[in-house]
Amino acid sequence: MGAVLMSAISEEKYMSISPAEFFYKYREVAGFANPVKAFYQVVKELIDNALDATDMHGILPDVKISIEKADEVQEYYKITVEDNGIGIPPDVVPYAFGKVLFSSKYVMKQSRGMYGLGVKMVVLYAQMTTGRPVEVITSRENYRMIYYFKLRIDINKNEPVIIERGAWRKTRDWHGTVVSVTIEGDWGRAKQRILEYLSRTSIITPYANITLITPENEIIHYSRVTNAMPKPPRESKPHPRGIDLEMFKTLINNNGNGEEPVEEFLTSNFQSIGPSTARAILNLAKIDPYKKLHELTESEIQRLFNIIKSYDKYKPPSATSLSPLGREVLEAGLKRIFEPEFLYAVTRSPRSYEGNPFIVEAAISYGGNTPMSPQEQPIILRYANRVPLIYDESTDVVTQVVKEDVNWESYMISFPAPLAIVVHICSTKIPFKGVGKESIADIPEIRREVKLAIMEVTRELKRYLVKKVKEKEVMRRVEILAKYIPEVARSLAIILGDNSSKNRIEAALTRKLIEYVSRRSNVSVEIVNSIVKSVKIGV
Amino acid sequence: MSTISETDVKTRMRALDLIKENFKRLLDELDKSGKLHLVFPKRTLSNTIYDQKSKILLLGPDIQYRSFTDINEAKKFTQTILMASIIYKALRNNEYPTIRDLFYRGKHTISYTSIDGKKVSENSWDDQRESDSVIRDLEVFLNILREDLLILSKEKGKVVGNLIIKSGDDTIDLSKMGHGAYAIEPTPDLIDFIDVDAEYVLVVEKDAVFQQLHRYGFWKKNKVVLVTSAGQPDRATRRFVRRLSEEFKLPVYILCDSDPYGFYIYSVFKAGSITLSYESERLATPTAKFIGVTLTDIFGTEIFKEILRDPQIKNTLEEIAKDVLKLKSKEPYLSIEERRNFVIKAKLRDIERAVELVGYRVAEACIGSPEYRSKIKRKEGVSGYPWFLTPEWIRELCIFFYTTSKLEIEAITGKGLRFLADIYIPRKIENEDWID
Ligand SMILES: Nc1ncnc2c1ncn2[C@@H]1O[C@H](COP(=O)(O)OP(=O)(O)OP(=O)(O)O)[C@@H](O)[C@H]1O
Ligand SMILES: [Mg+2]
Repeated sequence: MGAVLMSAISEEKYMSISPAEFFYKYREVAGFANPVKAFYQVVKELIDNALDATDMHGILPDVKISIEKADEVQEYYKITVEDNGIGIPPDVVPYAFGKVLFSSKYVMKQSRGMYGLGVKMVVLYAQMTTGRPVEVITSRENYRMIYYFKLRIDINKNEPVIIERGAWRKTRDWHGTVVSVTIEGDWGRAKQRILEYLSRTSIITPYANITLITPENEIIHYSRVTNAMPKPPRESKPHPRGIDLEMFKTLINNNGNGEEPVEEFLTSNFQSIGPSTARAILNLAKIDPYKKLHELTESEIQRLFNIIKSYDKYKPPSATSLSPLGREVLEAGLKRIFEPEFLYAVTRSPRSYEGNPFIVEAAISYGGNTPMSPQEQPIILRYANRVPLIYDESTDVVTQVVKEDVNWESYMISFPAPLAIVVHICSTKIPFKGVGKESIADIPEIRREVKLAIMEVTRELKRYLVKKVKEKEVMRRVEILAKYIPEVARSLAIILGDNSSKNRIEAALTRKLIEYVSRRSNVSVEIVNSIVKSVKIGV
Repeated sequence: MSTISETDVKTRMRALDLIKENFKRLLDELDKSGKLHLVFPKRTLSNTIYDQKSKILLLGPDIQYRSFTDINEAKKFTQTILMASIIYKALRNNEYPTIRDLFYRGKHTISYTSIDGKKVSENSWDDQRESDSVIRDLEVFLNILREDLLILSKEKGKVVGNLIIKSGDDTIDLSKMGHGAYAIEPTPDLIDFIDVDAEYVLVVEKDAVFQQLHRYGFWKKNKVVLVTSAGQPDRATRRFVRRLSEEFKLPVYILCDSDPYGFYIYSVFKAGSITLSYESERLATPTAKFIGVTLTDIFGTEIFKEILRDPQIKNTLEEIAKDVLKLKSKEPYLSIEERRNFVIKAKLRDIERAVELVGYRVAEACIGSPEYRSKIKRKEGVSGYPWFLTPEWIRELCIFFYTTSKLEIEAITGKGLRFLADIYIPRKIENEDWID
């Protein structure tokens, strides 16, 4: 019996894999689940990066995407995305494109990218399906050269392998980046989604020129409709509420030679901690403000951290690291696509959750070319840090608010209606439910802001609808009166006039009654007259 | 010499002036106060008052402002003015339109294009009820009766008797009408009474009964002016009867079916109608008496005593009319056998009409049939017309509810015309066995 048991227990194999290998294996968690979704994801990652390199740095984006068939037989497609962004230093290029979890966006500042993964997934997917390397052409504004790279990723080592590199002189004043990859994919089925993604992107970036050339040589072009662009975000220091123990220790250990007094460390490494707050905290933690960092004991660090977390008088996190679009830009984007009868947008004041600042913006588009909504809810257009969220709508906090927290009937809205709601959440840390970055988690602070934003724009729509109904009602009333004017004038003329004066009296009476109705209803004489003129009295 | 009678010409001139004057004033007011509205007494049930003293229905004090700028009234306002112009035109053209003529003359479409470009069309009026109603409004607005606007209505009423009249330019002896009768003209005020030799006026609801009594020589034998309204009485018949009563002090007796409709016809003769209450003063005959057929004529009064044995019924009825126990008792005119043959079962419609007359409480207390009891439930709250809430009428209707029986007057003639003419009517008058 013991023997049987023995043989059932097999040897455990212990090993470690590189991040590149991990995401290569589990690509579906990053959105590369199947050939259709993967195609979409490739285009999206490249465009997101292109836009991050432009509007986040105050450059009006010009983005060109071309997708072409790259093989006679196989379903290979070459995707090229060109931007006029800040470009990438040549020594960084191999890592930016060839090392998973390498990013310039790990800082406290709003951007589309956040994981340092996107474009590497693209390169890995290309490697895995067609085996072809990524090609990058890039230059920065003050460079005299343009740099060229052809590289792949060493999956086991998570290191870039440069296949080819080059540089040539700039002949014109160009900066930006061109990235090309070749993948195997299902264009036929991915096309609709990619077009949807582009159109949704154009709504939120009306200040961008975006052009797509499809494998069928169709050109889809969204041209810039406004030069107004939101102010780029500024990097900020972490807020004490958003910090965890590990981060805290890292900050302490990486602080030069450790000679800095702890008070100074606090004021210079965190936002919302000034000298007096620092004193208060250190006082509570019973630590001498002048004690040097390297003199802090493990238990003092632990105590200090606990006090920092429980202290409740901080100013809320600053929002300079955020870059909301603002009313004007939001409205410009919706106006172009829907030409709505009514449009309204709002940017809420900054709020924070767990020490992360966030801002919710919402816009409402009603009528005009706004498409008909589904049976029970408006069309919901979700965005996070200017990235359109298309998948996983049902699990998103915005959808939950729309379905559960807003009583649409009380706003005079019944579905289906030509009604679209845009919600844009920007934050230094968007609480996504997965690496696929498609749906946002239900964080109470965020949920509340989303609700207030939606209610604010919807209230405005209601005001408009009420006014419209009232105006209609006034017109209806005027019509009811005006249509009888000819009959009344004619009848009175019969009684008061004789054969020779009848017509004159009728005309005078008509004029008088038109003025009378116009005066009583506050509707112009011209409008009343136009109805009166249309009246025909039959026999 | 003109073929048109002189009275007509004068009436016409007066009417034209009156209309012109009133509408001129309407426009003057628009210039002065900036308001365009017709002001006249309200013609609604709520503004109809039963005057206990004169025992007639009168218009109350409520005033209606029919404003052109009130969207709920604009159409009625327009209809009223349209009707005035049609009547005015007819007067000027020497015509005598009927209310039906007026309906057709004014019926046309009014179409227009709305602000959002839709073509909309409606009729000035759709059925005669609408045009009739504005004619009545005009009567109260102009304070003139339609007869004086030379609007004619169908002649329904007929009369025979020892009576000589002048109508238009002719003198007519109403005792010399052969088997026919004089049809009461729509403008009875233009009649001159030359000579009358009669003891009383008998009005019968049914034309057939009128003819039978006429041929039987009833009016000759009893010196009666015999009138029929042939159903619901028209204005001319009512005015004619009123003039006989007023100018010759003749007693007026009304003979109708024994059902709520018959009772109501009587009350229209006596007190006036709700829709024409503004004319009661001229049309009603407050001295008119309901001679029959009563339910006590059919059942006697014993049955009522039986009903009152139920203390609940007794209390209810006493509360409504306290003298209901002190009424005289009497024997029925019909035997049990005859009753079985002549009486018919009342329909739901009859019951409901009866509730309107005396109110829901009487009905609920007295009604025998559980089926009808549940059906009249929805009339709860109806309190009845004050002129029916007398002990006599409550007794009648209580028996009606209890037995759910009614009787058509023809049935009595089934017992023999002689019974009706020689026994029933004379005896009832002799015994003063009527309801006042
Ligand atoms: N078109 C571009 N222009 C300038 N820099 C770029 C461009 N594309 C990528 N980069 C740089 O490469 C880095 C890595 O990009 P990658 O898409 O892998 O990650 P990310 O955008 O930082 O985060 P995420 O995984 O969320 O996309 C970026 O942080 C950026 O610095
Ligand atoms: Mg990216």
